[in-house]
Amino acid sequence: MSALAGTQDQARGVGETPPVDRQRRLRRQLRRYWLAVLGAALVLAWIVIAILAPHIAPYPYEQIDLTQRLLPPSAEHWLGTDMLGRDVFSRLLVGSRISLLAGFSVVLIGAVAGTLIGGIAAYAGGRVEELMMRLTDLVLCFPPIILAMAIAAALGIGATNTVIAMLVVWWPKFARLARSLVIVQRNQEYVEAAVTIGYGPGRILLRHIMPNSMGPMVVLVTLDVGQAILTFSGLSFLGLGVIPPVPEWGAMVAEGRELIQQWWVAAFPGFAILTVVMGFNFLGDGVRDWLDPRSRTR
Amino acid sequence: MPGLRNFAREKSGRSALRMLVGGLVVAAFAAMAPAQAQEKQVLVLGVDISDARNFDPARMADYSSPITNGAVYDSLVTQKPGEYETVVPSLATAWERLDDGKRLRFTLRDDVMFWDGSPLTAEDVKFSLDRLLNVKDQPAVYASNLEKTEVVDAHTVDLYIKNPSEPIMINLAAPAFAIYSKAMTEAQGGVSTPGAEQEDSATQWLNQNSAGTGPYHMVQWERNAQIMLQKNPNYWGGEVPFERVVIRHIGDSAAQLLALENGDIDAAFNLTTEQLATLEDSADIDIARGLSLDYVYMTLTSGAELNEALAKTENRLAVAHAIDYDGIIEHLMGGNAVRPVNFLPIGVGGSTEELLEQIGYKEDLDKARELLAQAGNPDGFTFQLSYANAAIVGTSYQLLAQKIQSDLARVGITAELNPMDQVQLRTQYTGGETQSVITFWNPPSPEPQLWASASIERVAKRVRWDVPQEVRDVVAAAGAEQDPAKRIELYTEYTQMLQDQGNYILLFQPIYRIATSQAIEDFDLTAAGWQVQMGDIKPAQ
Amino acid sequence: MIRYLITRLASMVVMIVLATLVVFLISHLVPADPILAQLGDMQAANPAMVAAYRARWGLDLPIWQQYFIFLEGLVQGNFGISISTQRPVLDDILQYAPATIELSTIAFLLSVIVGVPLGVIAAVKRDSWIDHLARLLSLVGVSAPTFWLAFVVLALFYGGLQIAPGPGRLDVIYLPPPFVTGLYLVDSALAGQWDVFRNAAAHLVLPSTVLAATTLGLITRTTRAAMLEALGQDYVRVGRAKGLKERTIIVRHALPNALIPVVTLGGLAYAVLLSGTVLTETIFSWPGLGRYTFRSAVSLDFPAIMGITFLVAVVYLVINLIVDLSYALLDPRVVRQ
Repeated sequence: MSALAGTQDQARGVGETPPVDRQRRLRRQLRRYWLAVLGAALVLAWIVIAILAPHIAPYPYEQIDLTQRLLPPSAEHWLGTDMLGRDVFSRLLVGSRISLLAGFSVVLIGAVAGTLIGGIAAYAGGRVEELMMRLTDLVLCFPPIILAMAIAAALGIGATNTVIAMLVVWWPKFARLARSLVIVQRNQEYVEAAVTIGYGPGRILLRHIMPNSMGPMVVLVTLDVGQAILTFSGLSFLGLGVIPPVPEWGAMVAEGRELIQQWWVAAFPGFAILTVVMGFNFLGDGVRDWLDPRSRTR
Repeated sequence: MPGLRNFAREKSGRSALRMLVGGLVVAAFAAMAPAQAQEKQVLVLGVDISDARNFDPARMADYSSPITNGAVYDSLVTQKPGEYETVVPSLATAWERLDDGKRLRFTLRDDVMFWDGSPLTAEDVKFSLDRLLNVKDQPAVYASNLEKTEVVDAHTVDLYIKNPSEPIMINLAAPAFAIYSKAMTEAQGGVSTPGAEQEDSATQWLNQNSAGTGPYHMVQWERNAQIMLQKNPNYWGGEVPFERVVIRHIGDSAAQLLALENGDIDAAFNLTTEQLATLEDSADIDIARGLSLDYVYMTLTSGAELNEALAKTENRLAVAHAIDYDGIIEHLMGGNAVRPVNFLPIGVGGSTEELLEQIGYKEDLDKARELLAQAGNPDGFTFQLSYANAAIVGTSYQLLAQKIQSDLARVGITAELNPMDQVQLRTQYTGGETQSVITFWNPPSPEPQLWASASIERVAKRVRWDVPQEVRDVVAAAGAEQDPAKRIELYTEYTQMLQDQGNYILLFQPIYRIATSQAIEDFDLTAAGWQVQMGDIKPAQ
Repeated sequence: MIRYLITRLASMVVMIVLATLVVFLISHLVPADPILAQLGDMQAANPAMVAAYRARWGLDLPIWQQYFIFLEGLVQGNFGISISTQRPVLDDILQYAPATIELSTIAFLLSVIVGVPLGVIAAVKRDSWIDHLARLLSLVGVSAPTFWLAFVVLALFYGGLQIAPGPGRLDVIYLPPPFVTGLYLVDSALAGQWDVFRNAAAHLVLPSTVLAATTLGLITRTTRAAMLEALGQDYVRVGRAKGLKERTIIVRHALPNALIPVVTLGGLAYAVLLSGTVLTETIFSWPGLGRYTFRSAVSLDFPAIMGITFLVAVVYLVINLIVDLSYALLDPRVVRQ
């Protein structure tokens, strides 16, 4: 991706004095992509926090002390305490783990499953393709809440089950994208060549077509992590997400939603969701811009 | 702040006017509207009534509906707030046990009229109780000991009892045993004979109107919006204080609080512990308190096939001794709760706070560790604690469960939390499939036998406790005992047996609090199903 | 065109049957009995009572028969009786739907009225501060968790500043206007109750703004991208070469073409709004379909779950159809393909 961008820029830079130009270009690039840089920084920061959380949290996240409940932010408790007297800041830090983990697993598993299904559909064509595409339509016309709730109810409440429920509604968009990408590749010369050599369809699909379709998929994946985190926290807000006392941001907002006076209980975890999702969205937006040749030339 | 308060007052003044214009008030009253010193005519209550499905006494099974039915219907007998061991006369002035208690003869007041002006007779009593039995909906279960009702004369009626050793008098005060007009109900399709299950069609009318003798009568129910009651001009208990009572549905506690502060409602029923705490010092708002008979309890199974460790009595008692009960009541409930010893709540069957001092479980970590060692689990054990994802009396099961989890961790017992939907919890719990649950008990009437028999019958099955005959005998003897002192002795003996068994751990019994404006007085709460003595509430003098 | 329509409608029917079947099967697989939660503790232990209640909802029948009874009722426009409210599901839906429709329509209009012009300006003045601002706004909008945003605006404008009304559709002192459509704005206007109208409108401000945050972002981005595309087309260059005013080119030529994808996305966004407002409704105590859906799912209220599934599937498919048709009207090539 970066190599591609580099060549284009060099092509444009022909004939100008390099050092001055590089500086100006850098500044221009920064102005265009400052959001993406900010996004990457946010995402990186949260990943670091998630890794270090247990070590940097000032209190154990599950430490209950009813005499310390609902204290406003102070030097001891930077973000105050919740209804059980637990330190909101510590819980918020540790909460990043489950959100990031859920976001990444939904998107990665969804992408792999969706790509396989969409890829097979497109490559096989005909009846199989039609059937699979109708299946994606079907999933899209469910009320997502009912589907997620019913699945969670059937499987039981918990992070893994919520991720499974999300996957059920998540794969179709990847399947659709994969299908359109494979259709483009299917008619390429190298595929025809592979067929002539006598490679089997499975090998062609996995070894040749898929790798060549990966680029756009990667973009969709980055863009989608934020969305997945948002959805996960929403389900968690509704009571489906995680089993306490493991802290999860959506559940933390739910716990504090009636505490308008003690706003810190709900406000900070929600802000954490906002920043991490913003990070992924800024990043994804920048990457998309970068990859999109039309938006670059103009 | 003063500006804001003025604004609120002005707003409420306008709101009163708006209500007039809205046609909520009879025309004659509207004509007198400008009078400033007008006495308060409308009582407005802010309640979450989203659970209401039915106001037909023979079908009603909701939590909030009895607030209405308690104000529009009377029963043969009733109970005074705080005195749940005895019944006092209501529609019946006297009663006697005949045939060794197989027959109860009630003498009715002769001055009672229904709100439409027709007189109450024994026929109406028979009709109401027959209909209760034959419609066979949920309330019929409470009348399973009632065989039939016979009219003796216009103001005397006999109730035939199947099993005299099972007490029935306190049940008769419950909203399910409301007495209503035969004529009015039959005119709307009411049927009281066998087959009423299919033929009765009065429910729809009874959901919009009432046919009783209470201080008010119902004139409208709009689902999830409001219930409107009108003064009963023929009330036998004397002049009714308000022209109308409006029960407004306000599901959101913050909105209830605001409406109360603005003077739009006179009482807010569903405020949270935190909101009530902010009102404690308010000069404009009173808080009515009433000890309920509801409680939140925790079960522990005896079934070794579900959890081997819990099947040992010592381990269950270790759990009981490792919980910080005072912390839960003091902090999570803001001090607004008490704790009963075991299955009988404080206020019935001799259950008192003194008894708790004597034989109740106490937080004692050393004892808990000792018990664990005796059971052969000195390092503790693990069990699953199930609860519904729901709010409960100003707090939530989720918070309670986390608190208990952290309490038990102190002695090495691991409670794995297992939150689920209410429906699933009910299914698993009634099916006896849970290792441990935290849940709620809300009695249909304050008869101690209802708790005692539940704890050794259906609930015992759920916790897989094989109840010894000895325990059954004590409970049966307590039910049949006519002497109050001896009865309390027997119930205390039974309670001690439950304590030794350790299947039930009572967490707290909430004191219900309702915030009221100073425009009204005599707002008395009751632990009987109807929650509020509606007929007693008066405009402030 | 007519053949296309018939095929689409036929596939819609198949999709609806499949969608309801899947939800039916999943919800019946849940190991829980909704009847038990409707009965009191004593009643739930009484086999005769449980059996009577199960029979009342046909839950004693074989599962395939239950599904056919549902389909049969559906054909007659009867969704059955809700287990938890004990009244017709259709009545429930008719009561709750207007609240959601009112809220999502206002939110949708809000995001279109702001989003489309913002997207156009962002495209025309590319890389200007306004373009960056629009981008930032829309990215933040789609990143904010609605339930949190709802909490924050409520805590700020209602709890803190006290300039906005609280949760619910009306202040407690007002009664709902006489029922005509169930949309309070419309009904109160019809009845001439202007104070109720004002109050209902005031109650809509916060929740609709919160809901609009997400859709606003989507619509702005789509409009901007489509406008850029359109502005790069030959006819725009021709127009410029002919010396047409820039404003004329933008409004008369580029915009109509740019609107096609906006219509598509807007339609889908509206469908999502109609079915997906549960989070906002929860915080604002909004008595809408989202909360009804949530409650029905939680209490495993089979008839209600099936009714809503049917409704959402129909709304989604119909909006899809309308989008495709308007697409065809705006761009005839689509049908030929």
